[in-house]
Amino acid sequence: MDVNFRKIDIDQYDEDVLQEEELYEADPRDPAQVLNDAKAKVGAVRNALSKGDTVGAINLVLDGTPVGPNVEEAKNLNLQTLTSILNSTKASEIPAIVRSLSQDAQDTLMKYLYKGMALPGWGEVSGSVLLGWHEKLTEVAGTGCIVRAMTDRRTV
Amino acid sequence: MAAPQVLPLPHGQIPITSHAFNADRSQVAVSLNSNDVTIFHRQGQEWAAGETLSEHDKLITSIDWAPNSNRIVTSSQDRNAYVWSLTPDPQTGTTIWKPTLVLLRINRAATFVRWSPNEDKFAVASGARAIAICSFDPEGDWWVSRLLKKPIRSTVLSLDWHPNNVLLAAGSADMKARVLSAYIKDVDKRPAPTVWGEKLPFNTICGEYTSPSGGWVHSVGFSPSGDVLAFTSHDSTISIVYPAHGPNAIHTIKLTHLPLVTLTWTREDEIIAAGHDCQPFVFRGGEAGWELAGTLDDNKHAGGGSTGVGGGRGFGAAGAGAGASPVGRLSSAAFTTFRNADTRGFASMASSPTSPGGSGGLPSAGGGGESEIFTLHQNTITEVRVYEGVPGDVRKVSTSGVDGKLVVWDVANVSPLGAAGLSGKLGGMHIR
Repeated sequence: MDVNFRKIDIDQYDEDVLQEEELYEADPRDPAQVLNDAKAKVGAVRNALSKGDTVGAINLVLDGTPVGPNVEEAKNLNLQTLTSILNSTKASEIPAIVRSLSQDAQDTLMKYLYKGMALPGWGEVSGSVLLGWHEKLTEVAGTGCIVRAMTDRRTV
Repeated sequence: MAAPQVLPLPHGQIPITSHAFNADRSQVAVSLNSNDVTIFHRQGQEWAAGETLSEHDKLITSIDWAPNSNRIVTSSQDRNAYVWSLTPDPQTGTTIWKPTLVLLRINRAATFVRWSPNEDKFAVASGARAIAICSFDPEGDWWVSRLLKKPIRSTVLSLDWHPNNVLLAAGSADMKARVLSAYIKDVDKRPAPTVWGEKLPFNTICGEYTSPSGGWVHSVGFSPSGDVLAFTSHDSTISIVYPAHGPNAIHTIKLTHLPLVTLTWTREDEIIAAGHDCQPFVFRGGEAGWELAGTLDDNKHAGGGSTGVGGGRGFGAAGAGAGASPVGRLSSAAFTTFRNADTRGFASMASSPTSPGGSGGLPSAGGGGESEIFTLHQNTITEVRVYEGVPGDVRKVSTSGVDGKLVVWDVANVSPLGAAGLSGKLGGMHIR
Protein backbone atom coordinates (compact mmCIF):
# COMPACT_ATOMS: atom_id res chain seq x y z
CA MET A 1 0.00 0.00 0.00
CA ASP A 2 1.26 3.44 -0.83
CA VAL A 3 1.69 5.34 2.40
CA ASN A 4 3.48 8.39 1.08
CA PHE A 5 0.31 10.43 1.33
CA ARG A 6 0.82 10.33 5.06
CA LYS A 7 3.95 12.41 4.68
CA ILE A 8 2.20 15.29 2.94
CA ASP A 9 2.22 18.35 5.17
CA ILE A 10 -1.48 19.12 5.07
CA ASP A 11 -1.02 21.98 7.51
CA GLN A 12 0.46 24.10 4.74
CA TYR A 13 -3.02 24.36 3.23
CA ASP A 14 -4.49 25.54 6.50
CA GLU A 15 -4.42 29.26 7.16
CA ASP A 16 -5.00 28.84 10.86
CA VAL A 17 -2.58 26.14 11.98
CA LEU A 18 -2.25 25.26 15.63
CA GLN A 19 1.33 26.14 16.52
CA GLU A 20 3.50 24.11 18.87
CA GLU A 21 4.04 27.18 21.07
CA GLU A 22 0.32 27.43 21.76
CA LEU A 23 0.31 24.10 23.52
CA TYR A 24 2.35 25.00 26.57
CA GLU A 25 3.56 27.98 28.51
CA ALA A 26 7.03 28.98 27.44
CA ASP A 27 9.95 29.38 29.80
CA PRO A 28 9.98 33.08 30.73
CA ARG A 29 13.78 33.12 30.97
CA ASP A 30 16.07 34.38 28.23
CA PRO A 31 17.96 31.56 26.39
CA ALA A 32 21.33 32.99 27.50
CA GLN A 33 20.11 33.08 31.07
CA VAL A 34 18.95 29.46 30.79
CA LEU A 35 22.41 28.42 29.61
CA ASN A 36 24.07 30.29 32.43
CA ASP A 37 21.76 28.60 34.93
CA ALA A 38 22.64 25.21 33.48
CA LYS A 39 26.36 25.99 33.65
CA ALA A 40 26.04 27.14 37.23
CA LYS A 41 24.46 23.82 38.11
CA VAL A 42 27.44 21.80 36.93
CA GLY A 43 29.60 23.08 39.77
CA ALA A 44 26.85 22.90 42.36
CA VAL A 45 26.09 19.31 41.39
CA ARG A 46 29.76 18.34 41.58
CA ASN A 47 29.91 19.93 44.98
CA ALA A 48 26.87 17.99 46.21
CA LEU A 49 28.18 14.72 44.77
CA SER A 50 31.53 15.16 46.50
CA LYS A 51 29.64 15.38 49.78
CA GLY A 52 27.76 12.19 48.91
CA ASP A 53 24.45 14.05 48.61
CA THR A 54 23.03 12.30 45.52
CA VAL A 55 19.43 13.27 46.22
CA GLY A 56 20.39 16.91 46.55
CA ALA A 57 22.38 16.74 43.32
CA ILE A 58 19.49 15.19 41.41
CA ASN A 59 17.03 17.73 42.71
CA LEU A 60 19.39 20.51 41.64
CA VAL A 61 19.43 19.22 38.07
CA LEU A 62 15.71 18.49 37.89
CA ASP A 63 14.69 21.92 39.19
CA GLY A 64 14.18 24.64 36.60
CA THR A 65 15.21 22.43 33.69
CA PRO A 66 15.60 24.07 30.29
CA VAL A 67 12.56 23.36 28.12
CA GLY A 68 11.20 24.52 24.80
CA PRO A 69 12.95 25.80 21.69
CA ASN A 70 16.24 27.76 21.40
CA VAL A 71 17.92 26.23 24.43
CA GLU A 72 19.46 23.10 22.89
CA GLU A 73 22.90 23.78 24.37
CA ALA A 74 21.54 24.16 27.88
CA LYS A 75 19.40 21.04 27.43
CA ASN A 76 22.38 18.93 26.43
CA LEU A 77 24.51 20.30 29.22
CA ASN A 78 21.80 19.52 31.76
CA LEU A 79 21.44 16.00 30.40
CA GLN A 80 25.18 15.45 30.74
CA THR A 81 25.14 16.77 34.30
CA LEU A 82 22.29 14.44 35.16
CA THR A 83 23.94 11.46 33.48
CA SER A 84 27.08 12.02 35.52
CA ILE A 85 24.96 11.60 38.64
CA LEU A 86 23.07 8.57 37.30
CA ASN A 87 26.31 6.86 36.31
CA SER A 88 27.93 7.37 39.69
CA THR A 89 25.01 6.05 41.75
CA LYS A 90 25.10 2.52 43.10
CA ALA A 91 22.25 0.38 41.82
CA SER A 92 21.20 -0.51 45.36
CA GLU A 93 20.65 3.14 46.21
CA ILE A 94 18.41 3.95 43.26
CA PRO A 95 15.03 2.87 44.74
CA ALA A 96 15.40 5.05 47.83
CA ILE A 97 16.51 8.04 45.77
CA VAL A 98 13.63 7.69 43.33
CA ARG A 99 11.12 7.44 46.18
CA SER A 100 12.43 10.61 47.78
CA LEU A 101 11.79 12.70 44.66
CA SER A 102 8.64 14.77 44.24
CA GLN A 103 6.18 13.68 41.57
CA ASP A 104 7.23 16.59 39.37
CA ALA A 105 10.88 15.62 39.71
CA GLN A 106 10.03 12.00 38.91
CA ASP A 107 8.29 13.09 35.71
CA THR A 108 11.27 15.23 34.70
CA LEU A 109 13.70 12.41 35.45
CA MET A 110 11.65 10.10 33.24
CA LYS A 111 11.87 12.64 30.41
CA TYR A 112 15.66 12.68 30.68
CA LEU A 113 15.85 8.88 30.74
CA TYR A 114 13.91 8.71 27.48
CA LYS A 115 15.96 11.49 25.98
CA GLY A 116 19.16 9.68 26.87
CA MET A 117 17.92 6.42 25.39
CA ALA A 118 16.88 8.22 22.20
CA LEU A 119 20.26 9.83 21.52
CA PRO A 120 22.36 8.03 18.91
CA GLY A 121 25.32 6.24 20.45
CA TRP A 122 24.15 6.61 24.01
CA GLY A 123 22.79 3.10 24.10
CA GLU A 124 26.26 1.58 24.25
CA VAL A 125 27.61 4.09 26.74
CA SER A 126 24.95 4.31 29.39
CA GLY A 127 22.07 2.21 28.08
CA SER A 128 22.11 -0.26 30.95
CA VAL A 129 22.34 2.53 33.52
CA LEU A 130 19.37 4.35 32.00
CA LEU A 131 17.35 1.14 31.82
CA GLY A 132 18.17 0.38 35.46
CA TRP A 133 16.91 3.79 36.54
CA HIS A 134 13.89 3.45 34.27
CA GLU A 135 12.93 0.17 35.91
CA LYS A 136 13.16 1.52 39.45
CA LEU A 137 11.42 4.76 38.55
CA THR A 138 8.55 2.90 36.90
CA GLU A 139 8.13 0.70 39.98
CA VAL A 140 7.59 3.81 42.07
CA ALA A 141 5.88 6.25 39.73
CA GLY A 142 4.00 3.80 37.53
CA THR A 143 2.97 3.92 33.92
CA GLY A 144 1.40 7.32 34.54
CA CYS A 145 4.88 8.78 34.83
CA ILE A 146 5.86 7.33 31.44
CA VAL A 147 2.67 8.68 29.89
CA ARG A 148 3.48 12.14 31.24
CA ALA A 149 7.02 11.98 29.86
CA MET A 150 5.55 11.24 26.44
CA THR A 151 2.65 13.69 26.63
CA ASP A 152 4.32 16.75 28.04
CA ARG A 153 5.22 19.27 25.33
CA ARG A 154 7.79 20.86 27.62
CA THR A 155 10.51 18.60 26.25
CA VAL A 156 13.84 18.55 28.04
CA MET B 1 -22.81 -3.27 48.22
CA ALA B 2 -23.74 -5.35 45.26
CA ALA B 3 -21.07 -6.83 43.05
CA PRO B 4 -20.67 -5.35 39.58
CA GLN B 5 -23.14 -6.72 37.10
CA VAL B 6 -22.16 -7.47 33.51
CA LEU B 7 -25.18 -7.02 31.29
CA PRO B 8 -25.54 -10.06 29.02
CA LEU B 9 -25.79 -8.22 25.71
CA PRO B 10 -25.96 -10.66 22.80
CA HIS B 11 -23.39 -8.95 20.56
CA GLY B 12 -20.26 -10.83 21.56
CA GLN B 13 -17.05 -8.92 22.06
CA ILE B 14 -17.47 -6.13 19.57
CA PRO B 15 -16.20 -2.90 21.16
CA ILE B 16 -18.80 -0.50 22.49
CA THR B 17 -17.91 3.02 21.42
CA SER B 18 -20.70 4.70 23.31
CA HIS B 19 -23.79 3.77 25.28
CA ALA B 20 -26.92 5.47 26.58
CA PHE B 21 -29.78 4.03 28.61
CA ASN B 22 -33.39 5.18 28.40
CA ALA B 23 -35.11 6.71 31.44
CA ASP B 24 -36.26 3.48 33.14
CA ARG B 25 -33.10 1.56 32.11
CA SER B 26 -35.13 -1.06 30.25
CA GLN B 27 -33.38 -0.24 26.99
CA VAL B 28 -29.88 0.75 26.01
CA ALA B 29 -28.62 2.26 22.77
CA VAL B 30 -25.06 1.32 21.87
CA SER B 31 -22.68 2.03 19.06
CA LEU B 32 -20.86 -1.22 18.31
CA ASN B 33 -17.84 0.36 16.65
CA SER B 34 -19.91 0.86 13.50
CA ASN B 35 -22.20 3.31 11.74
CA ASP B 36 -25.36 1.81 13.24
CA VAL B 37 -26.94 2.28 16.63
CA THR B 38 -28.27 -0.95 18.13
CA ILE B 39 -30.99 -0.77 20.76
CA PHE B 40 -31.07 -3.65 23.21
CA HIS B 41 -34.05 -4.20 25.50
CA ARG B 42 -34.40 -6.14 28.70
CA GLN B 43 -36.34 -9.41 28.59
CA GLY B 44 -36.39 -10.80 32.11
CA GLN B 45 -32.79 -11.63 32.88
CA GLU B 46 -31.76 -11.50 29.25
CA TRP B 47 -31.20 -8.68 26.79
CA ALA B 48 -32.33 -8.88 23.18
CA ALA B 49 -31.41 -6.84 20.15
CA GLY B 50 -34.21 -4.59 18.97
CA GLU B 51 -34.30 -1.89 16.39
CA THR B 52 -31.16 -0.79 14.54
CA LEU B 53 -30.87 2.89 13.75
CA SER B 54 -29.16 3.14 10.35
CA GLU B 55 -28.67 6.53 8.81
CA HIS B 56 -25.06 7.50 9.47
CA ASP B 57 -22.47 6.31 7.01
CA LYS B 58 -19.40 6.50 9.23
CA LEU B 59 -18.56 5.47 12.78
CA ILE B 60 -20.96 6.72 15.42
CA THR B 61 -18.93 8.51 18.04
CA SER B 62 -21.48 9.35 20.69
CA ILE B 63 -25.09 8.72 21.73
CA ASP B 64 -27.33 10.48 24.22
CA TRP B 65 -30.86 9.49 25.22
CA ALA B 66 -33.01 12.26 26.69
CA PRO B 67 -34.85 10.78 29.68
CA ASN B 68 -37.95 12.98 29.64
CA SER B 69 -38.62 13.66 25.97
CA ASN B 70 -37.44 10.13 25.05
CA ARG B 71 -35.40 11.26 22.07
CA ILE B 72 -32.02 9.92 21.02
CA VAL B 73 -29.32 12.07 19.49
CA THR B 74 -26.33 10.56 17.70
CA SER B 75 -23.12 12.06 16.34
CA SER B 76 -20.83 10.50 13.78
CA GLN B 77 -17.59 10.83 11.91
CA ASP B 78 -19.71 11.51 8.81
CA ARG B 79 -20.02 15.09 10.19
CA ASN B 80 -23.72 14.69 10.91
CA ALA B 81 -25.98 14.40 13.89
CA TYR B 82 -29.47 12.92 13.92
CA VAL B 83 -32.26 13.31 16.41
CA TRP B 84 -34.34 10.13 16.63
CA SER B 85 -37.89 10.14 17.93
CA LEU B 86 -40.52 7.42 18.21
CA THR B 87 -43.11 7.92 15.50
CA PRO B 88 -45.95 5.69 14.24
CA ASP B 89 -45.08 4.10 10.92
CA PRO B 90 -47.77 5.20 8.41
CA GLN B 91 -47.81 1.77 6.75
CA THR B 92 -47.76 -0.67 9.63
CA GLY B 93 -48.92 1.49 12.51
CA THR B 94 -46.09 0.31 14.77
CA THR B 95 -43.85 2.89 16.35
CA ILE B 96 -40.38 3.23 14.91
CA TRP B 97 -37.40 5.50 15.52
CA LYS B 98 -37.51 8.25 12.91
CA PRO B 99 -34.35 10.29 12.23
CA THR B 100 -34.24 14.03 11.72
CA LEU B 101 -31.07 15.42 10.21
CA VAL B 102 -29.47 18.30 12.07
CA LEU B 103 -27.77 21.04 10.10
CA LEU B 104 -24.48 21.16 11.95
CA ARG B 105 -22.43 23.21 9.45
CA ILE B 106 -19.14 21.54 10.41
CA ASN B 107 -16.57 20.13 7.98
CA ARG B 108 -14.96 17.56 10.26
CA ALA B 109 -16.15 14.62 12.31
CA ALA B 110 -18.70 15.10 15.07
CA THR B 111 -17.05 13.63 18.13
CA PHE B 112 -19.42 13.97 21.08
CA VAL B 113 -23.04 14.89 21.77
CA ARG B 114 -25.09 15.67 24.87
CA TRP B 115 -28.63 16.90 25.52
CA SER B 116 -28.90 19.93 27.76
CA PRO B 117 -30.57 19.32 31.13
CA ASN B 118 -33.89 20.80 29.89
CA GLU B 119 -33.63 18.73 26.69
CA ASP B 120 -34.46 21.77 24.56
CA LYS B 121 -30.90 22.03 23.18
CA PHE B 122 -28.01 19.77 22.54
CA ALA B 123 -24.34 20.36 21.94
CA VAL B 124 -22.21 18.56 19.33
CA ALA B 125 -18.42 18.63 19.62
CA SER B 126 -16.39 18.31 16.47
CA GLY B 127 -12.99 18.13 14.84
CA ALA B 128 -13.72 21.44 13.11
CA ARG B 129 -12.52 23.35 16.20
CA ALA B 130 -16.11 24.14 16.98
CA ILE B 131 -19.07 23.12 19.08
CA ALA B 132 -22.51 23.22 17.48
CA ILE B 133 -25.25 24.30 19.85
CA CYS B 134 -28.49 23.00 18.36
CA SER B 135 -32.01 24.13 19.16
CA PHE B 136 -35.34 23.35 17.55
CA ASP B 137 -36.87 25.82 15.13
CA PRO B 138 -40.62 25.10 15.09
CA GLU B 139 -41.23 27.24 12.00
CA GLY B 140 -38.73 25.45 9.85
CA ASP B 141 -39.48 22.17 11.69
CA TRP B 142 -35.81 21.33 12.02
CA TRP B 143 -32.85 21.62 14.36
CA VAL B 144 -30.66 24.64 13.73
CA SER B 145 -27.18 25.17 15.10
CA ARG B 146 -25.02 28.03 16.24
CA LEU B 147 -21.30 27.45 16.42
CA LEU B 148 -19.03 28.11 19.39
CA LYS B 149 -15.67 28.67 17.71
CA LYS B 150 -13.45 31.00 19.66
CA PRO B 151 -11.02 30.31 21.21
CA ILE B 152 -10.98 26.57 20.41
CA ARG B 153 -7.77 25.59 18.61
CA SER B 154 -8.25 21.90 17.99
CA THR B 155 -10.70 19.00 18.05
CA VAL B 156 -13.21 19.09 20.88
CA LEU B 157 -13.32 15.67 22.55
CA SER B 158 -15.92 15.98 25.27
CA LEU B 159 -18.70 18.15 26.64
CA ASP B 160 -20.78 18.54 29.75
CA TRP B 161 -23.74 20.80 30.47
CA HIS B 162 -24.05 22.93 33.58
CA PRO B 163 -27.30 22.32 35.47
CA ASN B 164 -28.47 25.83 34.48
CA ASN B 165 -28.89 24.73 30.85
CA VAL B 166 -26.68 27.60 29.66
CA LEU B 167 -23.06 26.92 30.51
CA LEU B 168 -21.12 24.23 28.72
CA ALA B 169 -17.77 22.64 29.56
CA ALA B 170 -15.59 21.42 26.71
CA GLY B 171 -12.39 19.38 26.69
CA SER B 172 -10.18 19.75 23.67
CA ALA B 173 -7.08 18.32 21.98
CA ASP B 174 -5.47 21.76 22.31
CA MET B 175 -4.78 20.71 25.93
CA LYS B 176 -7.47 22.92 27.45
CA ALA B 177 -10.71 22.48 29.31
CA ARG B 178 -13.02 25.43 28.87
CA VAL B 179 -16.27 26.70 30.27
CA LEU B 180 -18.33 28.57 27.67
CA SER B 181 -21.76 30.09 27.46
CA ALA B 182 -24.20 28.35 25.12
CA TYR B 183 -27.01 30.83 25.77
CA ILE B 184 -29.65 30.80 23.02
CA LYS B 185 -31.98 33.78 23.16
CA ASP B 186 -35.15 32.04 21.96
CA VAL B 187 -34.72 29.04 24.22
CA ASP B 188 -33.16 30.16 27.47
CA LYS B 189 -34.30 32.50 30.14
CA ARG B 190 -31.67 34.83 31.51
CA PRO B 191 -29.61 32.63 33.83
CA ALA B 192 -29.00 33.56 37.44
CA PRO B 193 -25.40 34.58 38.22
CA THR B 194 -23.09 31.65 38.99
CA VAL B 195 -19.51 31.28 40.16
CA TRP B 196 -18.61 31.19 36.48
CA GLY B 197 -19.93 34.65 35.72
CA GLU B 198 -22.91 36.98 35.77
CA LYS B 199 -23.56 38.14 32.24
CA LEU B 200 -23.42 35.24 29.87
CA PRO B 201 -24.12 36.05 26.21
CA PHE B 202 -23.42 33.32 23.65
CA ASN B 203 -19.75 32.32 23.42
CA THR B 204 -18.65 34.02 26.65
CA ILE B 205 -15.49 32.31 27.87
CA CYS B 206 -15.86 31.77 31.59
CA GLY B 207 -12.69 29.80 32.18
CA GLU B 208 -9.80 28.09 30.48
CA TYR B 209 -7.79 25.43 32.30
CA THR B 210 -4.92 23.09 31.62
CA SER B 211 -3.05 20.53 33.67
CA PRO B 212 0.65 21.24 34.35
CA SER B 213 1.93 18.53 32.01
CA GLY B 214 -0.66 19.13 29.29
CA GLY B 215 -2.22 16.41 27.20
CA TRP B 216 -5.51 16.17 25.33
CA VAL B 217 -8.45 16.79 27.62
CA HIS B 218 -10.45 13.59 27.26
CA SER B 219 -13.40 14.35 29.49
CA VAL B 220 -15.00 17.15 31.45
CA GLY B 221 -17.74 17.27 34.05
CA PHE B 222 -19.54 19.80 36.20
CA SER B 223 -20.22 18.83 39.79
CA PRO B 224 -23.90 18.34 40.71
CA SER B 225 -24.11 21.93 41.93
CA GLY B 226 -22.34 23.19 38.82
CA ASP B 227 -19.86 25.15 40.93
CA VAL B 228 -16.89 22.84 40.37
CA LEU B 229 -15.37 21.46 37.19
CA ALA B 230 -13.38 18.25 36.80
CA PHE B 231 -11.39 17.21 33.76
CA THR B 232 -9.08 14.34 32.86
CA SER B 233 -6.28 14.58 30.35
CA HIS B 234 -3.86 12.33 28.53
CA ASP B 235 -1.03 13.02 30.98
CA SER B 236 -2.76 10.62 33.41
CA THR B 237 -4.08 13.39 35.58
CA ILE B 238 -7.45 14.47 36.86
CA SER B 239 -7.90 18.12 37.75
CA ILE B 240 -10.64 19.70 39.82
CA VAL B 241 -11.26 23.43 39.40
CA TYR B 242 -12.81 25.68 42.03
CA PRO B 243 -13.51 28.98 40.27
CA ALA B 244 -14.99 30.47 43.42
CA HIS B 245 -11.77 29.97 45.39
CA GLY B 246 -9.15 32.43 44.36
CA PRO B 247 -7.72 32.93 40.93
CA ASN B 248 -8.10 29.61 39.17
CA ALA B 249 -7.51 27.28 42.08
CA ILE B 250 -6.94 23.82 40.61
CA HIS B 251 -6.28 20.53 42.35
CA THR B 252 -4.38 18.14 40.09
CA ILE B 253 -3.83 14.48 40.93
CA LYS B 254 -1.05 12.78 39.02
CA LEU B 255 -1.89 9.12 38.66
CA THR B 256 0.52 6.23 38.52
CA HIS B 257 -1.90 4.58 36.08
CA LEU B 258 -2.75 5.01 32.43
CA PRO B 259 -4.86 8.01 31.35
CA LEU B 260 -8.53 8.43 32.20
CA VAL B 261 -10.85 9.10 29.27
CA THR B 262 -14.25 9.44 30.90
CA LEU B 263 -15.63 10.72 34.19
CA THR B 264 -18.88 11.28 36.01
CA TRP B 265 -19.69 12.97 39.32
CA THR B 266 -21.65 10.85 41.78
CA ARG B 267 -21.79 13.34 44.65
CA GLU B 268 -20.51 16.84 45.24
CA ASP B 269 -17.44 15.22 46.84
CA GLU B 270 -16.99 12.13 44.66
CA ILE B 271 -16.02 11.43 41.05
CA ILE B 272 -15.81 8.13 39.17
CA ALA B 273 -13.33 8.15 36.29
CA ALA B 274 -12.11 5.38 34.01
CA GLY B 275 -10.07 4.80 30.89
CA HIS B 276 -7.06 2.93 29.63
CA ASP B 277 -6.46 1.21 32.98
CA CYS B 278 -9.71 -0.76 32.48
CA GLN B 279 -11.18 -0.02 35.90
CA PRO B 280 -13.37 2.76 37.36
CA PHE B 281 -11.39 4.80 39.89
CA VAL B 282 -13.05 6.67 42.74
CA PHE B 283 -11.84 10.16 43.66
CA ARG B 284 -12.99 11.95 46.77
CA GLY B 285 -12.34 15.38 48.16
CA GLY B 286 -13.45 18.94 48.44
CA GLU B 287 -12.17 22.47 48.45
CA ALA B 288 -9.20 21.50 50.62
CA GLY B 289 -7.93 18.79 48.31
CA TRP B 290 -8.73 15.63 46.42
CA GLU B 291 -7.38 12.11 46.52
CA LEU B 292 -7.68 8.80 44.79
CA ALA B 293 -9.85 6.83 47.21
CA GLY B 294 -9.96 3.46 45.48
CA THR B 295 -11.48 1.53 42.64
CA LEU B 296 -14.88 -0.04 42.00
CA ASP B 297 -13.10 -3.07 40.60
CA ASP B 298 -11.71 -5.47 43.21
CA ASN B 299 -9.09 -6.65 40.66
CA LYS B 300 -9.87 -10.29 41.29
CA HIS B 301 -11.04 -11.25 37.86
CA ALA B 302 -7.93 -13.16 36.88
CA GLY B 303 -8.41 -15.34 33.86
CA GLY B 304 -12.14 -15.03 33.79
CA GLY B 305 -12.29 -17.93 31.38
CA SER B 306 -15.83 -17.09 30.43
CA THR B 307 -14.65 -14.08 28.53
CA GLY B 308 -12.71 -16.45 26.31
CA VAL B 309 -11.96 -13.54 24.08
CA GLY B 310 -11.65 -15.18 20.72
CA GLY B 311 -8.46 -16.98 21.59
CA GLY B 312 -7.38 -17.49 18.03
CA ARG B 313 -7.77 -14.08 16.51
CA GLY B 314 -4.46 -12.40 16.03
CA PHE B 315 -2.40 -15.40 17.05
CA GLY B 316 -2.91 -17.24 13.81
CA ALA B 317 -0.19 -15.42 11.99
CA ALA B 318 2.34 -16.16 14.69
CA GLY B 319 1.53 -19.84 14.58
CA ALA B 320 1.83 -20.03 10.83
CA GLY B 321 5.11 -18.18 10.83
CA ALA B 322 6.63 -20.50 13.40
CA GLY B 323 5.59 -23.56 11.50
CA ALA B 324 6.83 -22.52 8.11
CA SER B 325 10.20 -21.01 8.88
CA PRO B 326 11.21 -19.98 12.37
CA VAL B 327 12.75 -16.69 11.36
CA GLY B 328 14.94 -15.22 14.06
CA ARG B 329 13.21 -13.11 16.65
CA LEU B 330 9.84 -13.26 14.94
CA SER B 331 9.29 -16.72 16.34
CA SER B 332 10.82 -16.14 19.74
CA ALA B 333 8.72 -16.67 22.81
CA ALA B 334 9.38 -13.16 24.05
CA PHE B 335 8.23 -11.61 20.81
CA THR B 336 5.02 -13.61 20.86
CA THR B 337 4.35 -12.74 24.46
CA PHE B 338 4.74 -9.05 23.78
CA ARG B 339 2.68 -9.21 20.65
CA ASN B 340 -0.15 -10.97 22.42
CA ALA B 341 0.03 -8.56 25.29
CA ASP B 342 -0.09 -5.73 22.79
CA THR B 343 -2.89 -6.92 20.56
CA ARG B 344 -5.15 -8.70 23.01
CA GLY B 345 -4.03 -7.75 26.47
CA PHE B 346 -2.96 -11.36 26.96
CA ALA B 347 0.29 -12.81 28.19
CA SER B 348 0.05 -16.55 28.47
CA MET B 349 0.52 -17.74 24.93
CA ALA B 350 4.27 -18.01 24.90
CA SER B 351 4.35 -21.73 24.28
CA SER B 352 1.61 -21.85 21.71
CA PRO B 353 3.29 -21.04 18.40
CA THR B 354 5.22 -24.27 18.48
CA SER B 355 2.10 -26.14 17.47
CA PRO B 356 3.24 -28.67 14.90
CA GLY B 357 2.68 -27.82 11.30
CA GLY B 358 1.37 -24.45 12.14
CA SER B 359 -0.60 -24.58 8.94
CA GLY B 360 -3.91 -23.43 10.20
CA GLY B 361 -2.77 -20.86 12.68
CA LEU B 362 -4.98 -21.00 15.77
CA PRO B 363 -2.47 -22.36 18.28
CA SER B 364 -4.34 -24.08 21.08
CA ALA B 365 -6.72 -21.21 21.53
CA GLY B 366 -8.74 -23.14 24.08
CA GLY B 367 -5.82 -23.91 26.35
CA GLY B 368 -4.32 -20.45 26.53
CA GLY B 369 -7.00 -17.82 26.69
CA GLU B 370 -6.08 -16.73 30.22
CA SER B 371 -6.30 -13.09 30.89
CA GLU B 372 -3.32 -11.10 32.03
CA ILE B 373 -5.21 -8.25 33.60
CA PHE B 374 -7.25 -8.76 36.70
CA THR B 375 -9.92 -6.18 36.07
CA LEU B 376 -13.46 -6.99 35.02
CA HIS B 377 -13.16 -4.94 31.85
CA GLN B 378 -10.49 -6.53 29.70
CA ASN B 379 -9.79 -3.42 27.68
CA THR B 380 -10.13 0.38 27.76
CA ILE B 381 -13.32 1.75 29.26
CA THR B 382 -14.88 4.11 26.73
CA GLU B 383 -17.62 5.71 28.76
CA VAL B 384 -18.89 5.91 32.33
CA ARG B 385 -22.41 7.22 32.92
CA VAL B 386 -24.92 7.57 35.70
CA TYR B 387 -27.15 4.50 35.95
CA GLU B 388 -29.15 4.93 39.14
CA GLY B 389 -29.77 7.86 41.44
CA VAL B 390 -30.20 11.59 41.11
CA PRO B 391 -27.51 14.25 40.59
CA GLY B 392 -25.66 14.57 43.87
CA ASP B 393 -26.71 11.13 45.07
CA VAL B 394 -25.77 8.64 42.37
CA ARG B 395 -25.84 5.03 43.55
CA LYS B 396 -24.89 3.13 40.40
CA VAL B 397 -22.89 3.89 37.28
CA SER B 398 -22.56 2.02 34.00
CA THR B 399 -19.38 1.56 31.97
CA SER B 400 -18.85 0.38 28.41
CA GLY B 401 -15.56 -0.89 27.06
CA VAL B 402 -13.52 -1.81 24.04
CA ASP B 403 -13.88 -5.39 25.29
CA GLY B 404 -17.59 -5.19 24.40
CA LYS B 405 -18.77 -5.34 28.00
CA LEU B 406 -21.43 -3.15 29.54
CA VAL B 407 -21.16 -3.22 33.33
CA VAL B 408 -23.26 -1.70 36.11
CA TRP B 409 -21.34 -0.83 39.29
CA ASP B 410 -22.51 -0.01 42.80
CA VAL B 411 -20.62 3.16 43.71
CA ALA B 412 -20.60 2.24 47.42
CA ASN B 413 -18.54 -0.86 46.66
CA VAL B 414 -15.09 0.74 46.74
CA SER B 415 -11.96 -1.41 47.01
CA PRO B 416 -8.68 0.03 48.19
CA LEU B 417 -5.96 0.17 45.58
CA GLY B 418 -3.33 -2.51 45.25
CA ALA B 419 -0.36 -3.25 47.40
CA ALA B 420 2.11 -0.90 45.81
CA GLY B 421 0.60 1.97 47.73
CA LEU B 422 1.61 4.24 44.92
CA SER B 423 -1.69 5.90 44.60
CA GLY B 424 -3.88 7.94 46.80
CA LYS B 425 -1.45 10.76 46.94
CA LEU B 426 -3.01 14.10 47.55
CA GLY B 427 -3.17 16.26 44.50
CA GLY B 428 -0.91 19.23 44.80
CA MET B 429 -2.60 22.53 44.35
CA HIS B 430 -1.19 24.87 41.81
CA ILE B 431 -2.19 28.43 41.20
CA ARG B 432 -1.68 29.73 37.75
